[in-house]
Amino acid sequence: MIMTHSGLPLGWAIVIGISMLLLSVWAIAAQSPNAGINSKKISLTSTPLVGGIFRYLSGTTWLLLLLKIVFASIFILIITAGLWGTAIVERNLATTLTWNLWWTGLIIAVLFSGSAWCAVCPWDNIATWLVNHKLWQRSNSNSRLQLKVPHSLRNVWPASLLFIGFTWLELGIGIVSSPYATALLALVMVILATTALALFEGKAFCRYMCPVGRTVGAYSQLSPIALRPIDNDICKNCKTLECFHGSEKIAPCPTKLIMGRLQENTYCTSCGNCTLSCPSKNISWQLRSPSSEAIKDARPHLDEAFFMLILLALTMFHGLTMLDGWQSYMTLMAQLVNDNSQLIISFSVGLVASLLIPSLFYLLSIGMTLKLCVNKKGISRDKVDFNKLFSGFAFTALPLAFAYHIAHNLTHFVRESSDWLALLSNPLGKGTEPLSMMEKHMRHMDIMISENVLFTLQGLIMLAGFAISVLVIRHRGYRLFAAKGIQLLPILIFAMIITSFNLFMLVQPMTMRM
Amino acid sequence: MKNTALAFIFVYIALVSTLSNAHHVLGRPSYSLNEDSNTPPSMAIETQIGEYFITYMVFPAFPKPNEPGRVNLYATRIDNGEVLAQPITFSVRDDSFFTETLGFGQAESSEQIGVQTIDDGVYRQGFLFRKKGNYIVRAYFEDGGEPYEIDFPLQVGESSPIGPIGATIGFIFFLLLSINIAQRKRIARSKVQQGQSVR
Repeated sequence: MIMTHSGLPLGWAIVIGISMLLLSVWAIAAQSPNAGINSKKISLTSTPLVGGIFRYLSGTTWLLLLLKIVFASIFILIITAGLWGTAIVERNLATTLTWNLWWTGLIIAVLFSGSAWCAVCPWDNIATWLVNHKLWQRSNSNSRLQLKVPHSLRNVWPASLLFIGFTWLELGIGIVSSPYATALLALVMVILATTALALFEGKAFCRYMCPVGRTVGAYSQLSPIALRPIDNDICKNCKTLECFHGSEKIAPCPTKLIMGRLQENTYCTSCGNCTLSCPSKNISWQLRSPSSEAIKDARPHLDEAFFMLILLALTMFHGLTMLDGWQSYMTLMAQLVNDNSQLIISFSVGLVASLLIPSLFYLLSIGMTLKLCVNKKGISRDKVDFNKLFSGFAFTALPLAFAYHIAHNLTHFVRESSDWLALLSNPLGKGTEPLSMMEKHMRHMDIMISENVLFTLQGLIMLAGFAISVLVIRHRGYRLFAAKGIQLLPILIFAMIITSFNLFMLVQPMTMRM
Repeated sequence: MKNTALAFIFVYIALVSTLSNAHHVLGRPSYSLNEDSNTPPSMAIETQIGEYFITYMVFPAFPKPNEPGRVNLYATRIDNGEVLAQPITFSVRDDSFFTETLGFGQAESSEQIGVQTIDDGVYRQGFLFRKKGNYIVRAYFEDGGEPYEIDFPLQVGESSPIGPIGATIGFIFFLLLSINIAQRKRIARSKVQQGQSVR
């Protein structure tokens, strides 16, 4: 029996739909945006109550090291449970912790902690300990070749392809429902991270290949918290660049960032090396205007633009596969292509279509925007940089993907809580039985917060996502081509249709993950 | 002395009889054990599908290539405990990643091994595998116009001695070792080159 969660009430969808229309009308009718996005930052080290704590933690290593060890231990426990524990998905810590808690909570955590996950990422830390032979200090280990990453790989395409591959494994092959396969995936991550660290300089895996890190990095551009300089002037006058080169004891920035020039959070792994190595103690966690990066600061690159579109498409695809209609599609496609095994061909066709449709739709929107801009201003088409327009407006996809990702995962998070005490006391699930129908029903009814609160949160998140995307369109459109008014209509329509489809999916009953 | 000899004989007989009992399982000599013997199963699974509770057992405890084995299947209705009385078709296919998960070559590897009717409340299906490996046994029957397909895993022979942990540790060990050697050679070479340029 397949258990489903009830969807967002239609009333919420209508309210959001009307708000979208009003926001779009405002975006077209309002005056051109000025550069006045609030760039004010508040250093957490100078806040009245918690400032002292943050100042202390910025200068110490023990807490971060402790967290790294804790997360690495949990990761090893997951591998152990996956390889030697029960095959019953809901009774094994490997599957429940990975897919119910971590994968769901990770995206929600980005909202509150930016890219902090990367600092405690277990596969990277295990790889670092194995290769560097040091727990946290700078290492001169001979186990690293320190090769330069080939130029063709210095982009996020490897991460994009791995992300697509992992989605195929997760949903198509069904590693979500296999503790053993979950453990294998964890081991693969360790192997990839170790190999990249041993071969290349810096942390090439984190920067170019890790699909989780790149997802967290992309979304953290919308986070209200990030590591940044307290005083920009100190960084401007800095000649030694310890954040980039490291110090005698502290390793350099693993993703080769210079804090004084940092405008986007994408590649910051929150490792804290810069806070420790900066002789002026000028780097700290800062509160900032959420989404200011996506709207204004972040510099567009083509590979990152494609990653954001892939992120949007795969996020929507996750939701799509949990709807009732997906099963009907799979049956129909299986009959069409005579797919009688695990329906892998039918699934793969669906995955490719889900990747192509939003991307093609985005391309069409960009093409129409371009046409409107060229016609209106009399600019020669040859002089228009299509790539710049494509990558600049791709930031529109980011809040749309993030909003749906959180709204969708929020349902899993509050409705599919496991019996953690029982799981922690028996992580391998030895001697356990599958959940009975009554237990499944009980779990379904035992919601963490009230349903109305959940729906309100989902509605507000979806609305905020669309509102931020409208701001992105207005500001980026004006900066790229001085585009305003009706010229923004195609890309606004893109945002509206994507949000409408996401709302449609949220309104539908959704299958439980496990 | 006579008593001692008698005691010795008694102890000897007792020991021998104990040892000979060790060759018997439930009163039968070990050489007469086969797939129909009441040995412990390698796997016992209970599940429910549609209207039925299914219990599945594989005998013997460790099925090996070229040695006969048996699957026992019990099916009872959930609502009234009535035993299923339809014939069940058993088939088997390879459970490797490429055949089972990706579906490559499945048509060749899927093979019907028998159609069984109920015998004393149990469906018994014998098997004999030539090669060791992981297989999927499928039990198929129809009831109330509905098809029922139940897949069960079956491992024949011993699994690979190198598991995923062994493979991971081995890979990382050789990677780091070879990089370490290469790096030391690079450093030594650069020192020699530096020395030559100084001279």
